[in-house]
Amino acid sequence: MKSLSDSQAAFLLAVARRVVPAVATLDPGGTERFWRLIDDALNIKPPAILARFKFFLLILRWAPALVFFRPLDRLGPGTQDGVLRWLQSSPIRLLRVGVWGLKTLCFMGYYGQPEVAAGIGYSPVLEGNERLVERP
Amino acid sequence: MLEKEFDIVIIGSGSGGGVVASELSPMCRDGVRIAVLEWGPKLKPAEFTGREIEMVGRLYAEAGGFFTKDGDMTIAFGRAYGGSTVVYTGTSLKIAKETVEKWAVPGLEFDNMDRRAEKFFRENNLHLIEDSLINENNRLFVEGCRKLGYRTKRFPVNVKGCKGSSLCNLGCPHGAKQGTDQVQLPAAEKNGVLVVTNCKVEHLGNRECLAVVSEPGFGEPSAWAPGEYRIKAKIVVACGGAINTPALLIRSRLPAALPALGKFITLHPALILVGLHDRPIANFLGHPKSFCCDHFAGTHGFLLETCIYFPFTTAKSCIGFGAEHAELMAHMDRQQQIIALAWDQPLERNRVTVDRKGDPVLDYRASPLVLDALHRAQIEAARIFFASGAARVHAPAGRKFFVERSEAAEVEDLIPRSGMLPGKISLTSAHVMGGCRMGRDPETSVTDGWGRVHGVPWLYVADASLFPRCSEANPYLTIMALADRVAERVRSDTSELLR
Repeated sequence: MKSLSDSQAAFLLAVARRVVPAVATLDPGGTERFWRLIDDALNIKPPAILARFKFFLLILRWAPALVFFRPLDRLGPGTQDGVLRWLQSSPIRLLRVGVWGLKTLCFMGYYGQPEVAAGIGYSPVLEGNERLVERP
Repeated sequence: MLEKEFDIVIIGSGSGGGVVASELSPMCRDGVRIAVLEWGPKLKPAEFTGREIEMVGRLYAEAGGFFTKDGDMTIAFGRAYGGSTVVYTGTSLKIAKETVEKWAVPGLEFDNMDRRAEKFFRENNLHLIEDSLINENNRLFVEGCRKLGYRTKRFPVNVKGCKGSSLCNLGCPHGAKQGTDQVQLPAAEKNGVLVVTNCKVEHLGNRECLAVVSEPGFGEPSAWAPGEYRIKAKIVVACGGAINTPALLIRSRLPAALPALGKFITLHPALILVGLHDRPIANFLGHPKSFCCDHFAGTHGFLLETCIYFPFTTAKSCIGFGAEHAELMAHMDRQQQIIALAWDQPLERNRVTVDRKGDPVLDYRASPLVLDALHRAQIEAARIFFASGAARVHAPAGRKFFVERSEAAEVEDLIPRSGMLPGKISLTSAHVMGGCRMGRDPETSVTDGWGRVHGVPWLYVADASLFPRCSEANPYLTIMALADRVAERVRSDTSELLR
């Protein structure tokens, strides 16, 4: 992982498990692909956007401590979800955008893996018309 | 720095640049030297794999992740031999007479535009897909609309030998879509036009371009070796699209005051909506986009179109996360999808600028009118989903992640306008327009009605940045018609400019 520090990556993984529960069940190959997709996406971003994203991770991790006296990743699952849900609909546009960006990365890391497709019913075929006319 | 010299340089190879290249290419027989400089790659046929992240990385600008300045909208536009025509679905609507009249560009008549659009109808093999190849995602949409009394239209599409992979937006693996990569560019090259891929034009000087050729590690090799180039040209036609063309003109500091440059951007802001059926439907078989519903275009300013997107695109288009989001994503084969596109007003504040490095920045905020339209669109789409048999509907502005079939009568209450929070809902656009709008007055426009930049006689624009306001329809056929018109003007100006 070139784009994030170990601590930032560990926090991102904790959040990713709330966003996409199946991330917790990825095998080592799937986990490696998860990080590669995220890293590739972050590495092509301009430095200013990457810096903003890292700052958002910092805020997301520690802002809950003002209320719960613990960082986000040390809260119970339900409380973590509640915080994310509140931020997602926050009156502050920047916070909403930050959550959306974070979720998008998590979705990319998981649903961007071709290996996941069959398990979620996504199975396009190159000769789709042939299959279509064969259907009853 | 390497030096090159041409008579005409065309920047970009999409629906604008491809047409200009094709239309001007017969001049090559008279010795006129023409080059197309395309930023993106020309992929080899085997490189169209249909894998989502891989293909968006190769064919879209910023891997499909170009954001507005506020970060609350994603803008998708192609960067390839053929530009965005490689990654659209090939659905084609002609611009309406009322829209051309709203544009109010002196000398730009509807009949003239329509005649040109008709030419590309023929050239690009536009036709209706046969009934037996309309998939269930599309049939359900029509059925739902019919039950509700909503008017639908069938899209002509520009395919030849389509095998129904449904992967149009990732580049057709069969090369069936008749974009400029398949039709206009090969024709232009046959006549002697040189197409240089992987070539990014950084700057325009006085009758010259500064460009950089790179080697991305995939695709056909560029006609030129990697390096920096100074390309002299007597005529330059900018066709890089409504983000890159204004940005190029802004950072080039042209010798003309152009106060409207970069401004009045419109996007047809869009939302992807999902209905979930109790059973698998044939959504990933066949052409993905066959119908639209224009029932609300006149009254509420939005169009609903059928669509089917890929796992990551679908996932990020939904609000929420966790178990309920996973529940929706676990059944992609049961998803019915609709994309809602809003007609946005041309506002001066919505504009392209450049950052300190000269890269484009799109400063766009969806207006309350746009959010109103997309809110109404969600309600009507939910009604269509339920009328077509969906068990549950995900509406991004909804009070709950799913609206259930038993709650269908309450969609007005369950999808409140207050839920339309930019940044929370996933707004997107693939129709960027404006920024070099046509007109007579240099204070309020950038080019004349024929695409010639005010005060810069050797520079033309031929892409969606010419639109004075949105096209109120999928724009590529309109871009082609305008590009055809600009090419006609360039031809008539050559005796003066190529001396």
